[in-house]
Amino acid sequence: MTGPTLYVALAAFGVVVGVASGLLGVGGGTLIVPFLTLAVGFSQHSAEATSLLVILPTAVAGSLALRRRGVGDLGLALRFGVVGAVGSVLGALLALALPASTLRLVFAVFVGVVGLRLARDGLRGEHADDVRS
Amino acid sequence: MRDRLHSLALDPKLLAIGLGGGLLSGLLGVGGGIIMVPLLVLWAAYSQRDAHALSLGAIIPISIAGIATYGVAGEVRYWQALGLAAGSIVGARIGAGWLARIDERLLKIVFGAFLVGVAALMGARG
Repeated sequence: MTGPTLYVALAAFGVVVGVASGLLGVGGGTLIVPFLTLAVGFSQHSAEATSLLVILPTAVAGSLALRRRGVGDLGLALRFGVVGAVGSVLGALLALALPASTLRLVFAVFVGVVGLRLARDGLRGEHADDVRS
Repeated sequence: MRDRLHSLALDPKLLAIGLGGGLLSGLLGVGGGIIMVPLLVLWAAYSQRDAHALSLGAIIPISIAGIATYGVAGEVRYWQALGLAAGSIVGARIGAGWLARIDERLLKIVFGAFLVGVAALMGARG
């Protein structure tokens, strides 16, 4: 992809990432990085750096929209995020010393099990919770 | 002053999830939301909707720290970032509007499916 086509594709994919981010409260890097490396041909480093720069304005736009609607507590979220930022810097330093591929596989299993559990809770709730109007 | 300090304090579970979630996210190179949302719901007993809102706001300082740590200058492709962001800012407002209204159980199902997809992607990558 080159020229205008590339930018139309980027913006269109951006909309999908933004919807996922605003709805699910995720940054979107999980979607952006594979897209930039596999579809656009970025190196892993370029993709990760570019993704970080997209995630920030996306999270700001989504959070402001949520605050306008009175969902959640942005002040609490920001303080919570500062603690998370400290953790992520420590994690990035630890990553230099640990075998990442093994960890990632263990973590993939964990995420999969959690996902199945949440989906099951949601599906089960549809039948058990009919009293709520 | 004490009130001010108190208002800055965090519930110990939030503190643990922030630190642990951030640590795993930095360690594994995955987004914090994938880790924080399940812990907020399953361990800290937040409602599904509040957990997603809390996670989205938390991503703001976490991504700022990421940009500061990794030093994106030199690696980042600004025009492509701008193209993606132009779409994602519009999308985020749409998604946030859905989050404000969506049925909690449907949200659980959608997020659960998203996590299973992410797990498959991570497993495939090894």
